[in-house]
Amino acid sequence: MPLPPTASTPPATVSARNLSKTFWFHEKEPGLTGALKALLRARKKVVKAVQSIDFNVNAGELVGFIGPNGAGKTTTLKMLAGILCPSSGTVDVLGHVPYRREKEFLRKIALVAGQRNRLFWDLPAEEYFHFCRVVYEIPDERYAAAKKRLVEMADIGDILTVPQRKLSAGQRKRCELVAALLHDPRVIFLDEPTNALDVLNARKLREFIRAKARDGLHGIILTSHNMAEIGEVCDRLVIIHGGRIVFNGDLASLYERFLPRKQIRILFDGPWTRDALAQLGSLLRTDAHEALLEVEAPAAARAAALICSRFSIRDITITEMPLERIIESIYAQPHR
Amino acid sequence: MQRYLRLFMLLCKIGLMRQMAYRPHFFLMISGKVIRMLLLLLFFQAVFLKVDRLGQWTFDQVLLLFATFHLVDYIMSITFQRNLSYHLPALIQSGNLDSRITLPIHPLFMASLENIDMMDFISFIPCLGLLGYALHRLNYAFTWVQALMYGLLIVNALAFLFAIVLIIATVSFWTTQSAGLARVFDDLTRVGRYPLDIFESFWKFFFIYILPLALISQVPSQALLGALSPGLLLYALAATGLLLFIALRFWSMGLKTYTSTSS
Repeated sequence: MPLPPTASTPPATVSARNLSKTFWFHEKEPGLTGALKALLRARKKVVKAVQSIDFNVNAGELVGFIGPNGAGKTTTLKMLAGILCPSSGTVDVLGHVPYRREKEFLRKIALVAGQRNRLFWDLPAEEYFHFCRVVYEIPDERYAAAKKRLVEMADIGDILTVPQRKLSAGQRKRCELVAALLHDPRVIFLDEPTNALDVLNARKLREFIRAKARDGLHGIILTSHNMAEIGEVCDRLVIIHGGRIVFNGDLASLYERFLPRKQIRILFDGPWTRDALAQLGSLLRTDAHEALLEVEAPAAARAAALICSRFSIRDITITEMPLERIIESIYAQPHR
Repeated sequence: MQRYLRLFMLLCKIGLMRQMAYRPHFFLMISGKVIRMLLLLLFFQAVFLKVDRLGQWTFDQVLLLFATFHLVDYIMSITFQRNLSYHLPALIQSGNLDSRITLPIHPLFMASLENIDMMDFISFIPCLGLLGYALHRLNYAFTWVQALMYGLLIVNALAFLFAIVLIIATVSFWTTQSAGLARVFDDLTRVGRYPLDIFESFWKFFFIYILPLALISQVPSQALLGALSPGLLLYALAATGLLLFIALRFWSMGLKTYTSTSS
């Protein structure tokens, strides 16, 4: 649960209280008969996409917003960006009620969402950038500097004059990113931003958003299914499952709460026995000269010391459990 | 206001650039538009080879009515009609409306004017020529009052059509598709091309007061010819005002129910 601001903490850039969103749709059975039935007598189904969630994001924070497919991540981002009207609860972004979509609010935010296409399909990205300059009233000098920096970051200098329809999905995505960030938004909502990007461009984007958050002026919320990415760049994680927040905190507390175990990888330089190791924890993998042992986190240092004293060791490393394991265990839990 | 004017000019430029992005298409479209206009004139002349009047309207007056209808029709096609009737439902269906409504400009501005059809501008210029020709044949004695009234009622006609198109387009927030309704509208507005005298009295009343398609070209033409009653003028302005109010409220309701799509 997020804490209210105190004298030492600045007011939250993004604040959601009891935020909920309910959708309804008509269920359709498969086949032509199903389509006919739905046409004549549609059955309405109500889905609670987001249920009473609370969280804050402060300036300078990069928050990873994760959850399984259909958990309510994108719906939440869209409520924060003013696209969707919440069914109940309150949301405040930079002192604005997003759904009112006031000009001043929209000038301070950016939403980069999945497979959305905002650029002019028949024209080069450069034309849309110019359109953004007019829409956001960006002064010439600021525009030139921002464009230069972003074009460099996204590495799109050589495709600026190519019509969008001629570009690959990844190239278009990079152009979209530049377009969304040209006006230097204070709050950035990134919905799977590195999806469709190659390894090099994904890394460059991660470094860029990390630097943005570090300047203390920007608040960033990032959704991704790439746990390595989340672990690398985010200060805090908000995990949503079944429309509810099941975790809100930093990585250390996540490990502590959900999987307080560590892995010890040992490379032996002499003889060793499985039984001796098995007494210290669970053996995950072994071969002639190597073993992977899983132990309770507080006992990891002691176990490593014991191993070093009993066997001849060439190398030993203690690591956290992979983030995916924790997330998998949370996703596997039934939700209400 | 200045910003919106600048944006509109920019969207016109982008519209032209988009059309020119496909060279063969660009030249084919120009030929197509010229042929379409010529065919309409031919049809029109053919009618008057058989009859010398349509109701109370002479050939020259019908020419004015025809030019006025196409003036309004082309302004509508160049600007909001296809955007609202066809482009907006597609944006709603794909969820691409998200990136339009998060721009710091009025969402209706983008929804109505994102794709300016500069190809129809080519037909718009001969349409102005036709209007001049009709006035010349009518030996029209220019008066400022009638010209201003004509201009005002052209704007009124556009506002009236905008309101109808907007109401139809807004339906797609609930139904995701409204192209069928939009096509009915396209066919219906063609009624405005002819003098309403060709209809029986019930339909004439219907198209003046119930579904006032007379507002599109008949009312402005009558104003220019000095034959518009003050009562009908007031009715034209009031009906448009009311319909526009309803359309804007309906649009706000629609936008509020927008559910977007998943990522």
